[in-house]
Amino acid sequence: MQPNPTNTHPSWFADWRVRLGVSALVIGHLWAVVGRPLEFATQGPFGTSPSASTFYAPVRGYSQFVYLDHGYAFFAPEPGPSHYFQAAIDEAGQKRIERKFPDLEDQWPRLLYHRHFMLAEFLNDVYHPPGDAPEEIASNPEAVAEWKRGRKRYEDVRDSIVKHLRSEYPRSEVAIRRVEHRQPGLPEFLNENVGVRDERLLRVLLDSMGVDSALPPVGPVGPPESVALPPAEAAR
Amino acid sequence: MSESTSQPISVKESIFAYPRALIGAWDSFWFTPRSPHTLGVIRIATGLMMLYSHLVVASHLFAFVGDNAWINNQTIASIHGGDYTPADAARSYLWHLSNPLLLWLHHLFTIAVTAFFAIGLLTRITAPLAWFLQLMLVHRMTGTLFGLDQVTTMLAMYLMLSPCGSVFSVDKLLRRTFLSDGTDNKRLAWLFPSDAPSVSANIATRLIQLHLCIVYLFGGLWKARGTSWWDGTAIWFAISNAQYQSIDITWLGRFPRIFSALAHITVFWEIFYCALVWPKLTRPIALALAVAVHGGIAMFLGMITFGTIMIVANMAFLAPTLFMSREERSRAELAHASRVA
Repeated sequence: MQPNPTNTHPSWFADWRVRLGVSALVIGHLWAVVGRPLEFATQGPFGTSPSASTFYAPVRGYSQFVYLDHGYAFFAPEPGPSHYFQAAIDEAGQKRIERKFPDLEDQWPRLLYHRHFMLAEFLNDVYHPPGDAPEEIASNPEAVAEWKRGRKRYEDVRDSIVKHLRSEYPRSEVAIRRVEHRQPGLPEFLNENVGVRDERLLRVLLDSMGVDSALPPVGPVGPPESVALPPAEAAR
Repeated sequence: MSESTSQPISVKESIFAYPRALIGAWDSFWFTPRSPHTLGVIRIATGLMMLYSHLVVASHLFAFVGDNAWINNQTIASIHGGDYTPADAARSYLWHLSNPLLLWLHHLFTIAVTAFFAIGLLTRITAPLAWFLQLMLVHRMTGTLFGLDQVTTMLAMYLMLSPCGSVFSVDKLLRRTFLSDGTDNKRLAWLFPSDAPSVSANIATRLIQLHLCIVYLFGGLWKARGTSWWDGTAIWFAISNAQYQSIDITWLGRFPRIFSALAHITVFWEIFYCALVWPKLTRPIALALAVAVHGGIAMFLGMITFGTIMIVANMAFLAPTLFMSREERSRAELAHASRVA
């Protein structure tokens, strides 16, 4: 290894032992950079590739702490529908307040809107249906416990969101519901004049097992989720 | 060269030639000194983007930190602490801060440090501090994060390894005012580094470059798993997503050949970015496509911040001489010539 050329910072790197140490650190870091996306990309219906998980395991903690644990699946594998949540806020004797998250008219600048957009997507991502574990996993205690933890996570996140709204509107009853907003297919858009904000593209996601996908598309009117139900069900 | 004139290579030489070449290439890739000018520009852009993000959080501070945040302290501790899924190491002391005054003081400190980092004031200290404070904030704001946070945190991490505050900075002015180039005060020389080429600037640049290649490779591979990226409708489904849309370009739906071509170009560009961006011949194409794709995301899909920071990250592939004055460039060329000689 050659020492540094002239006209540069006086450098520790002239010492080959320093270069060796730095090389080891660089390799370790790059291992962490590639480990999580590799593990994430090798997920299948039966879990993650065992070899990818084993590869990532030694650097998992480091990668998580320095925030390298991402999959980088931007708009992938498909640019799917987006989600928002609506809040119905009832204060005794007052008119109901309705808010939507995210909402361009409510959250400005765009970055603030986008943070709320991500919150709505997070709430949707952690959604887990209520009730007992399905029959196919009922005999597996570990899977049943995981099922319960999944539901608990969703309830805690949902309740945290409701608690935040209650802190903004003290003495009010607050209920939220999730709504899915899908994109129009090309034939719908071109032949049936279904615009991107058409109410037919909205679907209220009820908090119940197995029925969401069977629901016909509905507009923004519908029952809120079963959290601290306000006196009236219809949002408007 | 004809076979008859070439020297025969001994077995011993041929065994050692390849590893020696490999070590030489590694050494040259990581340990060739580089001027910090490109990193100086990236520092300003990253610092300003982080500052903007912190100011937006400040506008609704208690929606993001504290006991009444969207994701409150107890819930965030449970999410990362192992109550639902295995515990992870994405820890932050902000999970335990509830006092509004303390939270405000902490956030104002974060804003001040980030502003100092952006203008290049005491950058040797403010760069690692800005990265650490950003890290604590992102570990607290789980659930409201996206690509912008991933890329700004990544850039801040690599920038702190380099003398990125030695150019386009207050530090440079301070160095000019208080230090001569031949200063023998090592502490001050470290605090206000010169803008001479350095190995640490090169290592930081290489890490940004390689990290970016990995981001695009997996971004492309993920897209290749989806059918809509293959039949070309993915672009339609991206531009017709009302919640992303900032400028309506759904008229593109009437031109399937164009939007499907855009989908194919995006996937191929992302997957092959890691190969195309290194040769000088194809680098301008890879970078021009980066500007087009991220510019499109910024303008039409409402993610101005994310699109911009991705373009900034791509600047790591630009030569430092592009950001030098004429005088600095001549000096750099002379130094390069002397190194080659």
